[in-house]
Amino acid sequence: MTFSNLNRRRFLGTSIAATGLTLAAPRIARAADYPDRNISVIIPTREGGGADRNFRAFTSIWKDKLGTDFEPGFFPGASGRVGYEVYMGKNEPDAYSLIFGNMGPEVLNWAVQAPTFDVNDYFYFGQVDKDPGCLFVGAESKLQTLDDVIAEGKKRKLNVGTSRMAHPASIGLLALGEETGAQFNLIPLSGGKNTVAGAVTGEVDFSVLTSGSVIAAGDAVKTLLVFGENVVGEALDDAPSMNSVYGTDLPEMLSARAFGIHKKAADDYPDRMDHLNTTFKATFDDPALLEAYVASKGTPEYLSYGGIDECEAFKNAMLELGAKYKDLLSGA
Amino acid sequence: MGETSAILVEVFFETLSFWWVIIPTIFLGLIVGGIPGFSAANTIIILMPLTLAMTLQTGLVFMVTLYCSARMGAGIPAILVNIPGTAGAAATPLDGYPMAKQGKGQQALAISFVSSSIGGLLTTLVALATMPILARVGFYMHSVEMIVVMLFGISLIASIASQDMLKGLIAGFLGLMIGSIGTDVVYATPRGTFGFLELYDGVPLIPALVGLFAVSEAFVIIEKRVIVAKEGGAVKGSWTDTFDGVRIALSRWWHIIWTSIIGLIIGVIPGAGASIASFVAYQQSRSFSKTPELYGSGHPEGLIAPESANNGVTSGTLVPLLVLGIPGGATAAIMLVVMQFHGVSFGPSLFESQPKIGYGMFMAMAVAYLLMFFTILPLSRYMSHVTTVPTIYLAPMIISFTLVGGFVPREYMFDMYLALGFGLLGYIARRTGYHVAAILIGIILGPLLERYFLLALKKSDGDISTLFSSNLGNVLWVGLVLSLVLPIYFGRRRKQKVIPT
Repeated sequence: MTFSNLNRRRFLGTSIAATGLTLAAPRIARAADYPDRNISVIIPTREGGGADRNFRAFTSIWKDKLGTDFEPGFFPGASGRVGYEVYMGKNEPDAYSLIFGNMGPEVLNWAVQAPTFDVNDYFYFGQVDKDPGCLFVGAESKLQTLDDVIAEGKKRKLNVGTSRMAHPASIGLLALGEETGAQFNLIPLSGGKNTVAGAVTGEVDFSVLTSGSVIAAGDAVKTLLVFGENVVGEALDDAPSMNSVYGTDLPEMLSARAFGIHKKAADDYPDRMDHLNTTFKATFDDPALLEAYVASKGTPEYLSYGGIDECEAFKNAMLELGAKYKDLLSGA
Repeated sequence: MGETSAILVEVFFETLSFWWVIIPTIFLGLIVGGIPGFSAANTIIILMPLTLAMTLQTGLVFMVTLYCSARMGAGIPAILVNIPGTAGAAATPLDGYPMAKQGKGQQALAISFVSSSIGGLLTTLVALATMPILARVGFYMHSVEMIVVMLFGISLIASIASQDMLKGLIAGFLGLMIGSIGTDVVYATPRGTFGFLELYDGVPLIPALVGLFAVSEAFVIIEKRVIVAKEGGAVKGSWTDTFDGVRIALSRWWHIIWTSIIGLIIGVIPGAGASIASFVAYQQSRSFSKTPELYGSGHPEGLIAPESANNGVTSGTLVPLLVLGIPGGATAAIMLVVMQFHGVSFGPSLFESQPKIGYGMFMAMAVAYLLMFFTILPLSRYMSHVTTVPTIYLAPMIISFTLVGGFVPREYMFDMYLALGFGLLGYIARRTGYHVAAILIGIILGPLLERYFLLALKKSDGDISTLFSSNLGNVLWVGLVLSLVLPIYFGRRRKQKVIPT
């Protein structure tokens, strides 16, 4: 390059480019620096539970791709509401703080009882796994087939155990009732352990729950229907999906764990968001993830990637279904 | 039968060979059980990587021993400084702490250790022998029946209130009101939370427990400037008190047996727990005692009942876990996770496919209780010296321990403030003659009663007559009425007999 080539147009162009570069430099530098410290993750359930094991398995691989470690903080209570309120109310929207929640029951919660924040102020960007809800009976129940359940439900209102009213499996059951004309009375039994016990001991006629807990109950229960795809086959007694039996187009009623982030963080730091997205996807491409997931007793068939679009569609479907069944779920 | 006996003998000796795991774990359990807020459940969670790295049998022995010894450990601070380590030990200080204040802390500890060990050992053997029958209990004890069981415990408020009925009932009612804070169990509608998200799941038990009992006690100690044991006389610090405690407990062997059986039966019901069992056992013990007026003043039977019962629960919770694959409590649920990691599948087929695992868990419990009897009992002499610690050291220690204990289960600062708030409430109650135990019974049992009541109503579409719709429930209703009326009748008869002489 010689000075003789520097005309006014080139000078202005170069100046504008240089100015733009200067203005953009801090952000580029920030992107290069990110992350320069650990990322804190709010988990809205108890330490030692399924979410904790799942989180540790996933981040054990993700941390190497992202180049930093994760610090979980457990805020259980009020069906996950406490954790979300803490995340939205007290954590800085700077992409150094994430939430690891369950897009099924927790989002359904918002439809039944609105939180103090706008539900559009955060979004999920990375689904780790999905676990469909299912309908199951105790091993000694008189109702041993789906036909038995429907026939009996047409004679009398059946008591059906559920973990809590606002749960995807509850929605699945209500949809089943609408489709078949059988009558069901949802009985919230406070947690998966009690829901399984309710079906086994005859406290309720049968129960609905996410399938992971049902698989863990082994011989004590028998699964009759899955509110989604049965990708584990025999582990759920080869139970068919609701859509295949009744020809419905019900979305999968899932418990789906995913990482979420403040919308403001994604808007203010698109480069950081991009880095999170890229490394999250790269984690799924690493075969070590499956090993870590299986080692943490996760059902390998349930490990399932979902990006921003898939998560957004799922969140919206839950909000829509929650609004549709709000009266039944909230007793309004 | 012969094959099963051979397996049992083999498993017993195999378990004994794990003494090197059992004895250190007993002491670990005593420590975690004694610290408010800690428990066997969260210790197993913290030590899960270690547990998963152990062989199946070592892990099994470790978890079971920790479970039993933590239960026993929770009674130690409850007796010595009025701090129940867990909700299961909430009924222990009712008579244990008055004994410590009378300078009989060592005796009280010996009574507690003997009744816990024998109660635990006995119920383990009963559970082993009657497992298929016991596992059926959960099939009959549904929400209606559990309402009556809760009322057995709650009726203790009336007993406690007997000296000043109005104040007792006000305290119990206040407890029930506090217990109703949080979201309702059916539609999750928040009630009385004052906007605090931390109260959505109800008032957390440990901060309420340590606040009402321990923090308020520390305030009283500071105010009176007394040393705990000096109220009734100096601690002797000789072996005599330990032997006296053993003698007192053993002479009430029948009491240990039937109260521990109450614990066993409540323990096998999924969702029920040690707090219910200890209050029900205490209430039943008082109702059928010839000296009910002595309860609450340091009566040995008032200490034996909750301690035998809460250790009876320990063996009871294993029954639905092993036979049905349903964990009876939080610790059993974590055991389920660990055992599944090792490829053990619980449920009806366990005793056919892996009988050594099934019987091994009970045998580990039996051996743990056996070894606990000999290893912990001698410690009562030294532990009781806690009650002689001067006020200037003891009161701050109680307050700091309890505040940390309040924080630990959920790790919310809010819970520390809550413990202090309950401490203040407990202090005011004590100073104005209201019984803190009556408040606590309402807080612990109120939400459970409400839960079963709402579930029963929801199942019956709001039909109140459902409360009398089950045969077993009706038998329990009759039992409840009899247990309330008969003591009054027998009391009057005793008085009539005394008057002519």
